[in-house]
Amino acid sequence: MADVTVQTATESAAPPIPFSERYFNVLLGLLSVVLFLVAWQAVFLFVPFNQLFISKPSLIAAAFYDMVMSGELLRELAVSAVPFVYGFSAAVVVGVTLGIVMGWRVRVGYALDPIMTVFYASPLVALAPLVIVFFGVGVSGKATIIFLLSVFPFIFNTQAGVRAVDRLLVNVVRSLGGTEKDLYLKVVVPSVLPYIVAGARIAIGRGLIGVLVAEFFAASEGIGYAIARYGDLFALDKMFACIFAIMIIAVIMTEGIRWAERAAFPWRVGR
Amino acid sequence: MAAYIQGRNVNLTFRPPNRGPVRALHNFDIDVEEGEFLSIVGPSGCGKSTFLNALLGLLHIDSGDLRLSGKAISGPGTDRAMVFQEFGLLPWRTVQHNVELGLELKGMLADQRRKISSGLIDMVGLTGFESHYPHELSGGMKQRVGLARALATDPDVLLMDEPFAALDAQTRDIMQAELLRIWQEARKTVLFVTHQIEEAIYLSDRVMVMTKRPGRAKKLFTIPLPRPRDYEMRVTPEFNELKLKIWNELKDEITV
Repeated sequence: MADVTVQTATESAAPPIPFSERYFNVLLGLLSVVLFLVAWQAVFLFVPFNQLFISKPSLIAAAFYDMVMSGELLRELAVSAVPFVYGFSAAVVVGVTLGIVMGWRVRVGYALDPIMTVFYASPLVALAPLVIVFFGVGVSGKATIIFLLSVFPFIFNTQAGVRAVDRLLVNVVRSLGGTEKDLYLKVVVPSVLPYIVAGARIAIGRGLIGVLVAEFFAASEGIGYAIARYGDLFALDKMFACIFAIMIIAVIMTEGIRWAERAAFPWRVGR
Repeated sequence: MAAYIQGRNVNLTFRPPNRGPVRALHNFDIDVEEGEFLSIVGPSGCGKSTFLNALLGLLHIDSGDLRLSGKAISGPGTDRAMVFQEFGLLPWRTVQHNVELGLELKGMLADQRRKISSGLIDMVGLTGFESHYPHELSGGMKQRVGLARALATDPDVLLMDEPFAALDAQTRDIMQAELLRIWQEARKTVLFVTHQIEEAIYLSDRVMVMTKRPGRAKKLFTIPLPRPRDYEMRVTPEFNELKLKIWNELKDEITV
């Protein structure tokens, strides 16, 4: 085993990793997931199983299959997706705009930085009950919570990106007759985009927390509501099935962004 | 008759926040003829790059008179273009699109841009690298792109701010020869800032030595070497004599 690891490390520096080895590395990662599930399943060979307190992979898989087939899972996810899309889109627009202004206009940055930091650092979910009171149980309340949680990574990452804009490139464009608009479009936006995408990776995780928290507090449908309800009903197999659905979606979204990053910003490959 | 580029009593002071003002140029005078290749050598921080940036229109002079072809410099213009020491290529643009940047800012159409850029990419010897990104190029190749980009808008004056300082010695020698070849073809007025006396002599019609900060023109040398120049000239007695004369003017200005 040790030999294999050493070989991988040396080969990754030079030409692309051979086909078989790349798959070997993926398999290693999958192996730990499988082992985890097997251990979970096997532990009940030694410990008495009480399905009011815990579930196991075989039951969860069966529940997952049932819920997919009945369409229940998809329905709940679709309900939750609506406020997520609204809240997250608003977070992108507001966060990026604020971040650009805070990064470009230094004074605005100094003025807003402390209060934004307070909001970013504090557990904003504490405000969820209040938001529900203001905006109600429906889409707008959920969307507001998702927005509040996911807007700050966009603000701070965009701001950092704008501050990292190379002054030399600004001078290059200005010296060639570029206007203020040219500076934004040809220098600021392309340098900041990768920062925004990195922010999106963080924001997705926080946004999903927002979905669940909002639906835990007050909702009559949605994936978070389903998790809470099945928990209350001691239907733990279904509860875990919903949790796994959220996990899978989180992984797909985060990895999807990573993949899109590589495809969209080929110039960053060399960094 | 007034010179093509004329500076009289040019003063420029930096006022950085949290620090005292720095006088970069003090009563700086310069005359450059049209089509001339003039190099400026001076100690680090003497204001030679500052002067190029003022001529480019990115910095405003505090007092004095700075004119190009009779018109006072009031901001950037397409009659001037700069080649930067650190290349200044946009990392998200390919070679071709970096070269076309100035044309794009002028609003030129794509196929017309393409015609100009492919000609220039050929001139600087980068044919076949049109769709490469800067991070895939060596330092010398990057500066070839920088040169092509500066030439793309067909400026009258080419400003070069230590363009080869970031390159290794051999690449630098080759780029100097390349620059002479391109200058012979394009026939621009060139203002070239450098630390290297040998580079200044090899390339220039005249070499100006500047004092330490605040920078003034100390002495002008005419380089009588015939053109086209070749590498062998750099080991002739005349060349070395010039080198020594310039060094003698320069060394008093250098404080370590």
